[in-house]
Amino acid sequence: MLLSPGARTRRRLAELAGRGVLFGITSVAALAVMAIIFFIARDALPFFTQVGAREFFLSTEWYPAHQPPRFGAAAIFAGSLLVTAAAVLLAVPLGLFAALCMSDVLPFGVRQILKPVIEMLAAIPSVVYGFFALTVVAPLMQNAGSWLPGQFEIASGVNALTASLILAVMALPTIVSVSEDALQAAGRELREGSYALGATRAETLFKVVVPASVSGLFSAVLLGVMRAMGETMVVWMASGNAAQIPRPWYNLLQPVRTLTATIAGDMGEADQMTGSAHYHVLFAMGLCLLLVSFACNLAGEWIVARQRKRLRGG
Amino acid sequence: MKQSVLMSVVLGLSVMAAHAQDKLVMDGSTTVGPIAKAFAETYMRQNPGVNITVSESGSGNGAKALLNGTCDIANLSRHLKESEKKAMSEKGVKPVAHVVAFDALPVIVHPSNRVKGLTIDQIRDIYTGKITNWKEVGGGDQRIVVISRDTNSGTFETFKELVLGNDSKIVASAEYTGSNGGVRQRVQMTKGSIGYAGLGFVDRSVKALDVNGVAPSAESVVAKQYPISRELFMFTNGEPVSDSLAAKLLSMSRTEKGREIIEEIGYVPVPEK
Amino acid sequence: MRLKLRKLMDHALTAGGYLAIGGMALFLLWVLVPVFTKGFGAYVFRGTVEHRRMMLGEFNRGDLARLRAELAEVWRAREPVYRAVAAFERELDAMPAARRKALRSAFREVREGVAVLLGPEPGVPLPALTRRLYGQTRWEQAREKAADILFEETWEYSDAGSRRVLVPRAEQFEGTALAPVFDSVERDLAAMMRPRLTVYPRFLTDRSIDAHFFGGIGPEVLGTLYLSLGAMLVAVPLGIVAAVYFQEYAKEGPSVAFLRSCVNTLAGVPSVVFGLFGLAFFINTLRVSPGKSVLAGALTLALLVLPTVIRASEEAIAAVPRAFKEGAMALGAGRFRTVATVILPAALPGILTGIVISMGRAAGETAPIIFTAAVSVGQMVKPSEVLSQPTPALSWNLYNLCTEHEAVEELRHVQFGMAATLVLIVLALNLAAILLRARVARRLKG
Repeated sequence: MLLSPGARTRRRLAELAGRGVLFGITSVAALAVMAIIFFIARDALPFFTQVGAREFFLSTEWYPAHQPPRFGAAAIFAGSLLVTAAAVLLAVPLGLFAALCMSDVLPFGVRQILKPVIEMLAAIPSVVYGFFALTVVAPLMQNAGSWLPGQFEIASGVNALTASLILAVMALPTIVSVSEDALQAAGRELREGSYALGATRAETLFKVVVPASVSGLFSAVLLGVMRAMGETMVVWMASGNAAQIPRPWYNLLQPVRTLTATIAGDMGEADQMTGSAHYHVLFAMGLCLLLVSFACNLAGEWIVARQRKRLRGG
Repeated sequence: MKQSVLMSVVLGLSVMAAHAQDKLVMDGSTTVGPIAKAFAETYMRQNPGVNITVSESGSGNGAKALLNGTCDIANLSRHLKESEKKAMSEKGVKPVAHVVAFDALPVIVHPSNRVKGLTIDQIRDIYTGKITNWKEVGGGDQRIVVISRDTNSGTFETFKELVLGNDSKIVASAEYTGSNGGVRQRVQMTKGSIGYAGLGFVDRSVKALDVNGVAPSAESVVAKQYPISRELFMFTNGEPVSDSLAAKLLSMSRTEKGREIIEEIGYVPVPEK
Repeated sequence: MRLKLRKLMDHALTAGGYLAIGGMALFLLWVLVPVFTKGFGAYVFRGTVEHRRMMLGEFNRGDLARLRAELAEVWRAREPVYRAVAAFERELDAMPAARRKALRSAFREVREGVAVLLGPEPGVPLPALTRRLYGQTRWEQAREKAADILFEETWEYSDAGSRRVLVPRAEQFEGTALAPVFDSVERDLAAMMRPRLTVYPRFLTDRSIDAHFFGGIGPEVLGTLYLSLGAMLVAVPLGIVAAVYFQEYAKEGPSVAFLRSCVNTLAGVPSVVFGLFGLAFFINTLRVSPGKSVLAGALTLALLVLPTVIRASEEAIAAVPRAFKEGAMALGAGRFRTVATVILPAALPGILTGIVISMGRAAGETAPIIFTAAVSVGQMVKPSEVLSQPTPALSWNLYNLCTEHEAVEELRHVQFGMAATLVLIVLALNLAAILLRARVARRLKG
């Protein structure tokens, strides 16, 4: 169809305008992220100027309502780290094994059913998990103290272990799903080549398939880490909220406090009217959480980019 | 077509405006929460068409909401802090306190704990970490699990003022929960625990200790014998207009029915003069 | 390596894999089965005559004539108890002071227990709190309260530890006027309460009475619906437009890469930070509503689910065969017309899948709505009020009911009912998404 020059120009202008509008609307997502970072950072910076980063990161004395207040969040960072690390340590091996099983061991029909089931399980709301942790796991954990060897005295049913267990269960579906996709993406030829050379299934999987999909697996682990780190309700309800570093540091049977639970719990008090340091410190915590998740994202993207380059033949 | 659209917009707005008169927002303390909820429920039963919402996010949050104008009545289980009063006067908010009920802060432990009572000094030592095992105060050989309230809590402020003193720091291993109900639940679940919560939250699943020899009860609160007592407040911005929804709700605490409600929940109604 | 060892490792892997899957399945069953079975108990349970009385009194539901007949029969079983209590009160007044002191508090507990079990005695002035206007509405709870009357829970303290001991109260009151109470309660409980299988589907839509002591979870369900629908109303147009832009219009370059990065970052923001942002931005800065409201909550949730909608829509659009697009362009359609009339309709099922999954996510989130939308008690929000009214919601109120409430143990059935309803809503949405996706796969395969 031939158009007159006028009509062609009009159409081109319309296209440009349309693209501009679409770009603008898409930018809302970008704007949202930047707005979030801006607002959080804006309200977090006064804390660092008023009180300083040294006390925040290095001191374990968390007494925000005391006179004079102390904002040592080291114990809270440690709590977040401990709970996330424990959850990931529990979930990753289990998840990887489950993904391996799903992609290479189970028959196709079972896999077709299992995959949507796992996706559904990823959708269970976190507050239901928290409710479960509080009503079932915590009393069980408390009673377990009575038949464990004396050294591990469980004084309290809500502790780092309870929270980590539940977080691991929450992170599992994500890890399994993404790992399974990554393992599948390695391709049949790779596997068949290995089998043709006489390798057993285990050897194929561990020596050929897993190394080929290691970047995807790493992404899965990163996603699991982000899920565990950012979770609020479960840790608020089931970790005990004690701002201490357990003695010894690996003793999961003591209550801990995480960044997310502190924000959710203390947000009410935040004396924003007087611009108190207590209000700003919560935003400082939010900023740290944001930065860590940002870093994880970047790491993930870097891995994907490196994998893509490698596949392209770099 | 345009006319009917205009009409429906006007009608809709007027409906919305009419509804705007019949709503009330309450926010604040989890201690006062049960009273606020019961009052709201009773009022809404007698006056359908009114919508009273109650949030329980802590005394500090209630004060903040009153300052920002996001609530009509702020429930607080403590007095306003100096910083809050200053911020309010800067913003032109005139807080008016209405005493709704009296409360005691029973110190609660698990029923299996054989300790009958403690002195205020002992309680302080437990909370600051000087005493760590129940056997030091007459109980069995069990580690004390200290449970306290979050910092946005009026209950915590009262406890700090009357028991801890402003200089003491709570031991680092203390667990924190966000509400009175949360404390009660933790104490009920944990054998070696100790906590504090409003009178309305103490039931048979936990054991209330004598403090300095006095058991917490309505009588000991009114007689001012129980050492950890306090008033429960509802704050408004300025004196509420008489006959307004807020005024009616506030005056409920002085009516016969309101007093019964407060008593049935477990708190102490303001004694009639 | 020896063949046997290699084969052993292989079997170990297989076994390990099955164990992992089995372990996961078991654990998830452990979580879901109690939620569903006890949650079912909120809808179907053995209800007593007090439940039927409550239904009539609070909701105006039920057969008045039949209830009156039932109450007359129930009265026959209950009268001895009330009479015994009254008689003992007189006896107590006449007792010597020492014995009276010993028995008084125990008697008070028994009298309280009777009031809690059976409700207030007819003819006596009614209590003020609604929850005390009726006795136990559920049979299991009635049995528990009956046990409270029959036994006193004491603790035996010894150096070895503490032991819980149940002492029958009948022993303490033997020979007094109160003795028949224990006999009656033990023998005639069923006659006093008349339990019957009750199906209460309206639990889903009824408003709650007296802080969830009676009634249902209607306001919470409605609130969750409002919030998730509201979130989708905002996120879907934004998300589809963004996906179309990324797939069809964008030229790969630094600005587009930056936009993609932003979307990925948004996906990783923890939910509590969204809550912080919602409070700081939507309520305190933009002032979209005078306080908490459905609007503010929906906007916050929309930001939360936006990346998911964008990703799902992108995948759906990318999956549309190029032949469709090329065919349309060959016929002379401009890019916009191609997208609007050919690509989007073909991608619609995939997009719908993403929308449905996101709705499920928005319905289950708690942290973003704590400070932007959720309240503990409130009426059902009318559609005209969503811009300014806060609302109860299933996710937040479940947390509230199981931690902050003043009677957590009594309301377990409501908590489980809320949890089960929420999980069912989310799972149903996800199941719909999965079925949709299966249909898409079948259609695209040919």
